[in-house]
Amino acid sequence: MNEDIINLKNEAFAQINTAKSIDELEEIRIAYLGRNGKLTNLIKKIKDLPLEKRSQTGLLINETKKNIENLLNDKKQNLIKSLTEKREWFDLTLPGTKPEMGHKHPLKEVLEEVKDIFKYLGYQVAEGPEIESDYYNFEALNIPKDHPARDTQMTFYLENGKILRTQTSAMQVRVMEKTKPPFRVLVPGRNFRFEQVDASHGFEFWQVEGFAVDKNIRFTDLLGTISFVLKSLFGKETKLRFATTNFPFVEPGVDTYLQCTICHGKGCAFCKNTGWSEIMPAGMVHPDVLKRGKIDPKKWQGFAFAIGLSRIVNLRYGINDLRILTTPDLRILSQF
Amino acid sequence: MLVPIPWLKDYIEIKLPIKDLMWRLTEIGLTSEKLEKINGEEVLDIEVTANRPDWMSILGVAYEIAAIQGNKVKEPQIKELVKPPKTLEIKLNNNFQAIERWSAIIISGIEIKPSPEWLQKRILSVGLRPINNVVDITNFVMFEMGMPMHAFDYDEIKGHEMTVMLSQGGEEFTSVDELSYKLPKDAIIIKDKERIIDLAGIKGGLNSGIKANTKNILLHSTINNPALIRKTSIALGLRSEASAIYERGPDKGGTVKAIKRAANLILETAGGEVTSNLIDLKQKEFKPYSLDLNLKRLNEVVGIEIKKDKVVKIFSSLNLNPKAKGEKITCIIPTKRADLKIEEDLIEEVARIYGYNNFPLTLPEGKVKEEKIAYFKDDKIEKRLREIMIASGYSETMNYSLISEKIIKDSLSDPEKHIKIKNPVSLDYQYLRSSLIPSLILAAKLNTDKAVKLFEIDKVFPEEKYKVSAIGKGIEFREFKGAIDLILERLGIENYEIIFEVEEPIFHPAKSGTIKVKESNIGYFGEINPQVRENFAVKEILWAFELDLDALKDGSKIKTFVPVSSYPPQIEDLTFVFPPKTRIGEIIITIKKLDETIKNVELKDIYENAFTFKIVYQSNQKTLTDKEITKVREKIVKNIENRYGGKIK
Repeated sequence: MNEDIINLKNEAFAQINTAKSIDELEEIRIAYLGRNGKLTNLIKKIKDLPLEKRSQTGLLINETKKNIENLLNDKKQNLIKSLTEKREWFDLTLPGTKPEMGHKHPLKEVLEEVKDIFKYLGYQVAEGPEIESDYYNFEALNIPKDHPARDTQMTFYLENGKILRTQTSAMQVRVMEKTKPPFRVLVPGRNFRFEQVDASHGFEFWQVEGFAVDKNIRFTDLLGTISFVLKSLFGKETKLRFATTNFPFVEPGVDTYLQCTICHGKGCAFCKNTGWSEIMPAGMVHPDVLKRGKIDPKKWQGFAFAIGLSRIVNLRYGINDLRILTTPDLRILSQF
Repeated sequence: MLVPIPWLKDYIEIKLPIKDLMWRLTEIGLTSEKLEKINGEEVLDIEVTANRPDWMSILGVAYEIAAIQGNKVKEPQIKELVKPPKTLEIKLNNNFQAIERWSAIIISGIEIKPSPEWLQKRILSVGLRPINNVVDITNFVMFEMGMPMHAFDYDEIKGHEMTVMLSQGGEEFTSVDELSYKLPKDAIIIKDKERIIDLAGIKGGLNSGIKANTKNILLHSTINNPALIRKTSIALGLRSEASAIYERGPDKGGTVKAIKRAANLILETAGGEVTSNLIDLKQKEFKPYSLDLNLKRLNEVVGIEIKKDKVVKIFSSLNLNPKAKGEKITCIIPTKRADLKIEEDLIEEVARIYGYNNFPLTLPEGKVKEEKIAYFKDDKIEKRLREIMIASGYSETMNYSLISEKIIKDSLSDPEKHIKIKNPVSLDYQYLRSSLIPSLILAAKLNTDKAVKLFEIDKVFPEEKYKVSAIGKGIEFREFKGAIDLILERLGIENYEIIFEVEEPIFHPAKSGTIKVKESNIGYFGEINPQVRENFAVKEILWAFELDLDALKDGSKIKTFVPVSSYPPQIEDLTFVFPPKTRIGEIIITIKKLDETIKNVELKDIYENAFTFKIVYQSNQKTLTDKEITKVREKIVKNIENRYGGKIK
């Protein structure tokens, strides 16, 4: 029996030494040490030996098992080492096989990002009608009929006397009427204006309106919110400046200029050579508007702002023609 | 509004470099982005907001620069007019609804000639053409003071009587520049005894205009109803410098001063003498009024403490004559600043001169609302659908909501059922779409790739309900259907039914269906009607679906976790032969429900009328034996045969 053990060991050693792969080693391990392995079977036979020989043979088998295991491990380590040391040529530039995914529209991509930023700031998203009344779109916002501010918001009229909303601000009084302050609201949506289509105008465009009403909302909160949002969108280094402007439904009124992200302020066709891009009009909610929203302007203050979504998309991706966003051409869409 | 720098310098010393000045002006509300050269002079082109008629004047701009720089404006010297030794007769009949204030004077014995060089230069630098001394002076004063005015040939005012009224509509009027207009209703007109001599606030009449031989003139400055001016100028497509000022509402207290200024200049350059008292028709006095600012309120609104001294200094720089008493600062608002009506307006004055960019940046400190706001929108379903569609290989498009009558008709739909725009920009964009599919057909057509898969999520009208729609070109039905199956599966919509009927004629009547959960329609899918393809000139077969987001949301549910079995599955293929018109989708659902050990059933292969299903058997309690599987298999075979006439192969 002892001889069998030694032969087995030699046989195993020979096989291990000539093994070429880790898989082969595993096969050898199973052949000798596995549940039905050659050495395992010998162990099972120990009980057939005379008593006095059992312990010596047992020791020999154990030692042999250990030797085989050690050699297997050594050989395995060597094989792994040689596999990695050989530095076989492997082409990492071979193209992968991509799953055929579709593409998200860049405007929706940016919109989701904008919504995430505002949700982080505690805003809730609201959705309003695009077929709107003149009251909510204009009158409630201090823009009576024949107000010059209507010049910049030429309107589509419907046969039922309603209009297509020209600004998401139309939602300000709607939400105020039905929501108890304090609140922070974000209204993304489409607007319509009577404009001929060209590179920088369209009769349909997207805005994101935001407004907040609370006991102690301050002008500096408005400036801080604008800055936080634009820096979240365009990066910490973004340069902003604020200017006074007039919208009938805010007082004081703010216009936000973003340093052109295309030319970094040097002036280019994109920013009409000014180096700055008008991006986020805003202001403190006018007391008349709060009153129409059934909110007491003596107790509550608010701010409001609007983001031209298409403009943000264009600045981010360097798109110089608004029409690109509404052209369903895969050569365009698949770039995003 | 054009502001020539040399002209501006007549009233204010400019200390800041021009680029800095332009930005500071922009910062305080006078958007100055363009500096151009006109007639060799640097001219600022500023955008004037609707609330600031005073900025429609070079002096008005000078006052703002003075506030920025902290220096003083040099006002033009205006000499008092001497009492006329003799007077010419004039009768003015006003309509105060149309003209709130009417100031006028008559000057006689003037000589019409070209303006002196300095005046011509000024007129040219604002892009106008010099005409003669009198007309140029009226334009000069309008630009200088923001007060539109007009000079009539006194001798052409028939009967020496002027009557203000509103037009009936349809009247003929020929303006000084010899253009003829048919007037709309409610234009402000001035008539003499016989004819219309002025379209007030917009254009003077040819008949009463200044001519080379004019000797006597009536000069007037009026405050016109801004809404009426706006309506008329829009109706006639006639926007002038004067109408732009009138729409904003010029200084109601400024007419007399403007008349005096113009009269001074006319006497200087055209000679003559004043031959009437200064006429000034008004129903009330237009005087400065007081407006209070509470310092505490100022600081609450702006968010920082601006010291009383600083606030007073800012108001002084704006000529608002502030008087501080405790927390209260009282300003005297001159008539030219009629935009200052409420405390918030004064807050803006302080903030803008303080400099918006000098404020710190903070975020609101208040609590975030727990309850849902009105009009709250849950956008989870839209996000989920977008993910599924993109993962299914569809690319997202955004198309116009406005479409043409032709597209509606080509889609076999009825324009009458669509909302129509009364004043479309073009006939291509006249109706609000009631389905997203027609736009997607156009999109599919635009793309010449072999396989095109596009989708859109947007509202349709008139209900303004959100839909998800997709189109597939150059793909097989089962590939197209995969996206629908995935949507239903991922949203957890079970127990849906496919009805072999669609109400929408845009679909092929035999190859389209409606997806229903209980009684509610989730949407439609199928092949686009070949007639529609013909109308849109698309050769390839098109597959499309349109599902309703609310219905999808209502039908969806959060899935319940099923524990993973630790016993091995057994997988086998079963092939059945079915009679024609068998609904294979229903067979799969039936098989799945037959036994709890049937973990999954998939259609693996179709060959003629033979369908091969991959069946996965697995128990959560044990490893299934061959015997147990045989029993389940027999159950499948029996049921399929009895219920559907399918025979195992």
